[in-house]
This record gives sequence, C-alpha cells and structure tokens, in this order.
Amino acid sequence: MSGLILAVPSKGRLEEATRKVFAKAGLAIERPGGARSYQGDIPALPGVVVRFLPASEIARELIRGTVHAGVTGADLIHEASEQGPQSARFARPLGFGGADVVIAVPDAWIDVTSMRDLADVASDFRAGHGRWLRVATKYLNLTRRYFARFGIAEYRIVESLGATEAAPAAGAADLIVDITSTGSTLAANGLRIVEDGLILKSEANLIVSKTIVWDAEALVLRKSLLGAFGVDGD
Amino acid sequence: MISSPRAALEALVSTPGLTRIDPPILMSADPYFDLAGEEFRRRLVLTSGVDGEEYCLRPDFTLPIARHYLENGVGEAAYSYLGTLFRQRPDGPAEFDQTGLELIGQPDPAAALDRVIHFARDVLMTYGVTAPRVRIGSVALFEAVLAGAEMPDVWRPRLRHRFGHAGSLDALLERLSDPHGAEGNIRTPPLAEIETDVAGRMAAAGLPFDTSRAPAEIAARYLEKQALAAAYVPGETIQLLTDYLGVAGPVETALATIGGLIETPPAGFEVARAAIRRHFETLGQCLPGAEIVFDAGFAPRLDYYTGLVFEMTGEDGAVLASGGEYDRLLQRLGAGREIAASGCALWVDRLEKEGGK
Repeated sequence: MSGLILAVPSKGRLEEATRKVFAKAGLAIERPGGARSYQGDIPALPGVVVRFLPASEIARELIRGTVHAGVTGADLIHEASEQGPQSARFARPLGFGGADVVIAVPDAWIDVTSMRDLADVASDFRAGHGRWLRVATKYLNLTRRYFARFGIAEYRIVESLGATEAAPAAGAADLIVDITSTGSTLAANGLRIVEDGLILKSEANLIVSKTIVWDAEALVLRKSLLGAFGVDGD
Repeated sequence: MISSPRAALEALVSTPGLTRIDPPILMSADPYFDLAGEEFRRRLVLTSGVDGEEYCLRPDFTLPIARHYLENGVGEAAYSYLGTLFRQRPDGPAEFDQTGLELIGQPDPAAALDRVIHFARDVLMTYGVTAPRVRIGSVALFEAVLAGAEMPDVWRPRLRHRFGHAGSLDALLERLSDPHGAEGNIRTPPLAEIETDVAGRMAAAGLPFDTSRAPAEIAARYLEKQALAAAYVPGETIQLLTDYLGVAGPVETALATIGGLIETPPAGFEVARAAIRRHFETLGQCLPGAEIVFDAGFAPRLDYYTGLVFEMTGEDGAVLASGGEYDRLLQRLGAGREIAASGCALWVDRLEKEGGK
C-alpha cells in the first residue's frame, strides 16, 4: 500500500484530544463513518490513511512496523516489547494523556521509603515467607527493567489487568507497579509511591515507526506531517 | 563405527551407568518461577491452559531431572540428557539442543565433579574442540570470605544474594561504603509502639495480616534500618570484598593474590581453596591445551549453586559448556536437607559451529 498510515486512538478522551491537537496543527482528521468506522483521512494531507485503533494496539503496530506513524502513550511503547524504544521514534509529546508509571507499597511499610529499602525487603522476603515478594502490575517489561536497574531479582510479577491498586488488600500481591495521574487512587487504597519509584513519566506522543519500510511517497508525507507539528521529518 | 559427532554424542549419553532422561517438553512454569523468580521468566516460552495456569516449553534439563530424582531416586544417581530446549532470545523464541550430565547424591562429591568435568571434555572432544577457555569460580570461597568479613549480620545474606549479579553487587557495596546518616542519637520508639502503629495503618488500609509482611516484621526492619544508619560496614571490609571480587587470572596467581588479601582464613576458606586446586588439576589433565583462569566474581545468577562452578568458552567467546555444584537445589525443591549435586550443560549447536572452524 502506498501513502502513509497514521494510527490514532479509536475512542474516548484520547481520540478527542488527538483530533483536537491535529486540528490545531492544521491537519483536521475526518472520520466519515463516525465512531463505528475505523478508517479516516486528513483532507489537508492527501495520501495519509488514518486508522482508528486501541492505544495499546497502536504501540504494537508501530513496533512491528505495520503503521508508519501513530499517537499513543509513551508507556505503551516501552511496555509493548523489550525492543519498543529502539523500534520507534518519539517525534513530539502532545501535552495530553499524562500519567506516571510508579512503584507503590503499602503506606504501613514505614521501613520502605526508597528502592534500596525495597531491595533489602525483597532479598529477605523469601527466607521469611517461603515465597517471592509479589508485584502486581500490567507493566511486565517496565517493571523488570526498572527492578533490574536496582539489582532486585528476588520477586515475582503477578499480572493484573485491572484494579491493580486493590491487589495488596486482596492478598494477591505485596506491592504494585501502576499508572497514576494524581496519586489519589493509590492513597485511597493505603498505598504510597516509593521516593525513587517513578519508573516513567508518560504522555501521549506523536510516534514514528523505525521498523516499517519507508517509500518515497511516505517520506514526503512524513515531512509534511511532522512539519505541521514543528518537527523535522527527515 | 561411529559416523558423526551427533552419533558419538548419542553413544556418550547412553554409556552404561548413566540413566538417560527425556522429560516432557510441555511443563508447568510454576516450578521455574518458584526457583528463579522474575528474572528467569522473561526467558521462558510461555503458554497458558484454559484454567489460566501457565506452562512453558522445556527451558532446561536440570530442574526436571532434580524433580525426577526427588520422585523416583534414592541414593546415588547419574543422569544424562540430549534434547531440545526453548528460550526467548532478544530476536525471538529459539529452540536449540543441549546435552549434559547431572550427578545427584554421590557419596564422593569431589569425585563426582571430576566426572562431570570429564564428561564435558568428552563432549568437546566429540566436536574436536581441544582448547577452550575455561573460567572457574567458587561460591564456597566467596561465602567463606563473606562469613569472615566484619559487618552487621543482616548484610551477609543480602550480599550473598547479589553474588553473580556483578552490577547489583557493586551497587550494594558502593552503597554500604557511603557512611551516610550516622546521625548519632535518633530517638526511636520501642518496638511494641511501632508495631501498634503499623498494625493500625494496615487495618485502616484493609491489608491482610497473615499473607504478606506482618506488623512485627515491618517494625523490626524499621528499627534495623535506624540502627544500620549508625552501624555501617567498615571501610576495610568493603575494600576486602571489592579487591576479592576483582581477582581474575591464572589459577595459581589468583589464589595467591586472594591468600594475600585474607589475614586470618575464615572457616571453609582452606577447604574451598583446596577444592579449586583439585579441580583445576583435573581440568589441566583433561584439557592440556586449555587456558584456565580463576575469576573470583564469577557465579551463576541462581543462588542454589554451592561449591565450584565453571564455564568453557569457544574462540569467539560463546559459552560451550557450563556447570558446577548445586547442593542447595534439591533442598529448595522439597528435600529435607542439602543433597550433593553437580552437573554440566553443553550447547550442541555452538559446538557444531566451533568444531567446524
């Protein structure tokens, strides 16, 4: 297929915000079939095919190289694959969808304020409890990478796809890695962010795939697309 | 007449006296998680059952063989294997063949390790590899040095857990060498008071008291943390461990250097050093063309290894064979005590490549 495929969030606040910033950049997105259609275009940039996809799928497709460009959260690129950050270029942060991926422990753990403390607790945990320290999260790759950076190897991840903040109270995990924007959900669940436990500051980005094959037409369109956002597209 | 290296390998693992084991390829992933934690999980090729239970494709032979021993074996056992393993690599899932030997419950553990070394040599010879680079490490020697070093006791297991993770062990040593927070007389409330406070916070948050860290545990570590801020690891200890971990080179020279670092040999030190010498000799006899070094910081990333460990690499640095003593594995898997065990694993595809050079 010739042209440039641009993947944008298919619904909700992210879709609205994306269309707003694109309109502001002079690239209004048309979705002729309305919310139930998954294809659109940008009249100001003929040749661009807009595909509406869930945000996590956009990250995956950018990494796999099946779309040229897309709008999705930086956290999802980091999480989708260990190769994520090498496979895509963050062209421009878009100023919405901001959230932090953080490590939070029960507030009652008064002895744990830093990652160092967590490293000590993880190291001692198995001898005292006969099992590994358990971390509930949907961010497997980000968690593994961050824990490894602090030399923490003595833990297990419990995959959690929703209501992660409830896992410690439910006895499903000892601590969590989750996304938060204000921290209020964490506090309401008796959890506290570890001082150096900010894994990633994330927001929605305009992202360009490095793994897709760029033909001449796509390169020209990329220059116009990124140029509209004040970014060099070469 | 043996026609190919592969056929020779088949003959080798079928030698009388060895029990050849071929565990199922599809296995429950849980034992691996229990044994190796999260670090190993990313290397597993995983799939899940309809009930959500996780399965993996056989990522190694040692664990299934150890479990087989616990279920069926008594006394001494000698297992061999040759088969396919599956692991995630940076460029995707990969399948490759390994062969190896696992000796469990042998009455003479040192003789068993020598037998393991001979087996590794025989496999290498099958592919015409005569001059690998051999690296020896010793978990026992590090544990002896650690036990003899002056420091608050809580740090010993934490340092031990990081042995073999070069970066994180260095980071911990650096942290311990930084005498921050020695603030003298911080007034800490008594344990019972802290415990009550923690219990109150836990109850307020609806946290379970019995499945995770209990109030007493948190309070105790809180006090320990305060105490440790004042009682740091002596600078000489940090220097000793840093110097020790940096020793690497020809075996005799390395052992002499280590001898010079230790003023009073702690318990287990001489035994560990004698073991290194003994197996160094075996290796030298087996592989006269090999370059053999002792590397004090070398250890597998799994903490069930106990005594001597070794690794043989080819011309381009690829690991062809690795092995050692892992007396703690069977205990970890449910045996009531440590059971002497040693073994090795060899990468068949890498040997084919190495032999073709």
